[in-house]
Amino acid sequence: MMKILVFGQLTDIFKGSFIRLKDIPDTDTMIRKLEEKYPALKKMKYLIAIDKEIVKENTTLGEESEVSLLPPFSGG
Amino acid sequence: MKKRTPKNIFRQGAIPASFIGESIQKHSSKTEIGAHSIFLGQVRADEVDGKKVEAIEYTTYEEMALQKMHEIRESVFEKYPITCMHVYHSLGTVPTGEICLFVFTSSGHRRAATDACNELVEWIKAELPIWGKELLEGESYQWKVNN
Repeated sequence: MMKILVFGQLTDIFKGSFIRLKDIPDTDTMIRKLEEKYPALKKMKYLIAIDKEIVKENTTLGEESEVSLLPPFSGG
Repeated sequence: MKKRTPKNIFRQGAIPASFIGESIQKHSSKTEIGAHSIFLGQVRADEVDGKKVEAIEYTTYEEMALQKMHEIRESVFEKYPITCMHVYHSLGTVPTGEICLFVFTSSGHRRAATDACNELVEWIKAELPIWGKELLEGESYQWKVNN
């Protein structure tokens, strides 16, 4: 079971700060599965980070990967 | 270049004016300093659909933010001849009118301190995974957007 951390406005869609998913080989699969389950995600803007590094292309995920979805930053 | 360890920039709630004053005072022994530059971010009472913002609630992806801030810190120290750099950002609820961001740079001459301070503020707003939730009158909210 992989844990995906979510932040900011995405916590409204996922009703919490993380979600768990099974059988996720890569980030494209993750997004497809998440959008099926949470259609509101399709309209959201966000970046994907793996182990705190932002990835822009489809990336392989391991059981130990720390995956997070980051909506636009609004600090300050 | 000497290695610096990542510092925790986060403070729970608003940053008190007294803390800012004390930070300035602490530099009086560093007599090679000739200039300080300070940026203070204050929570503004914007109006959203006729409702006033009463506070901003900040959250972060702390480990990533501190790692990123460390990288920014290193690059700014490398670029400008500054002696000191201090950054503090609030987490949790900060009411309107209170300080939520404190950036403080010092150098021998004014140019380095002001340029480094300005650049730091831009990096902090663009690169740190921090989110502000604007709490409005009557228990509604909207997510803050940075320009």
